[in-house]
Amino acid sequence: MRHDAEQVSWRIHFGQVVTKEEVDRIIDLIYPIGLMTCACRRSMRGLPDEENFTCMGMGPGMYKWERWPETYRGGMNFLTPDEARHVIDVLNRRGLVHCMYTFGTPYLAGICNCDYPDCGGLRTAVDMGVRVVWKGHYVAEVDADKCNGCGLCVRRCQFKALSFSPSTLKAYIDPFKCYGCGLCRNPCKPDAIEMIDRATLPALAGVW
Amino acid sequence: MLPTITVDDEKCGNPLQCRLCLLACPTRVLGLGASAAPRKYQETDPARFIVRGVRYPFCTACRKCVDVCPHGAIEVSFDQVVTA
Repeated sequence: MRHDAEQVSWRIHFGQVVTKEEVDRIIDLIYPIGLMTCACRRSMRGLPDEENFTCMGMGPGMYKWERWPETYRGGMNFLTPDEARHVIDVLNRRGLVHCMYTFGTPYLAGICNCDYPDCGGLRTAVDMGVRVVWKGHYVAEVDADKCNGCGLCVRRCQFKALSFSPSTLKAYIDPFKCYGCGLCRNPCKPDAIEMIDRATLPALAGVW
Repeated sequence: MLPTITVDDEKCGNPLQCRLCLLACPTRVLGLGASAAPRKYQETDPARFIVRGVRYPFCTACRKCVDVCPHGAIEVSFDQVVTA
């Protein structure tokens, strides 16, 4: 059943985690960019539309939003690339993971900004092992010499990959669980977390 | 053993506006949806919004949703009680 669910998802609608740097570059490639409400948080929390503008749709399909008022509940805010980068920055500081999603693979249609457990995709991937969201191209690694053990990064991890190790008094990242979103880097004062290319680690190269 | 969660849609009303059960559930077992697919040029009638148990494996049968519902629309039954 897990296999079947993954196959359906990969054919129609699945995502991959991307870092903020990647999103900043993607924003230059896509047009138009529309900020819209998040269907997951509406389903999970019943969030009112005005509190729920966290998803970015892309491409000319966005112009059709008025035809589907329920799908695009709350309307559509079209953004310039700089406005979009600002929105991504705000959402990133809020602690949301950026994911590229397909709608009708191979067509890319959205940059979702997700968190656990309110994103249906992350929930399914983390809790049920159904890979509707793939891990990103990077893995976070702690430099134990630089880490000062403040623990601020731990709360940023949405994937249960980051914990605080009482015996070393440092942050500990499980590379097999890390999705490579890079959120843990932001509060790190000593800049102790580095993003490593997944392909350079043979055991992780195929772990998506 | 999975719980059975039943929601009486008639009693429930408009869950998108109320959303008390969605906020009360500690593990996000409940999901909000609509009993009709989105239609072109039409907003969904609020009476069509429904709440269902979706992520059953995470239900602890704490019954917070039952307690919080102002209309008594939710029932949770957990037949088999596991003892240590």
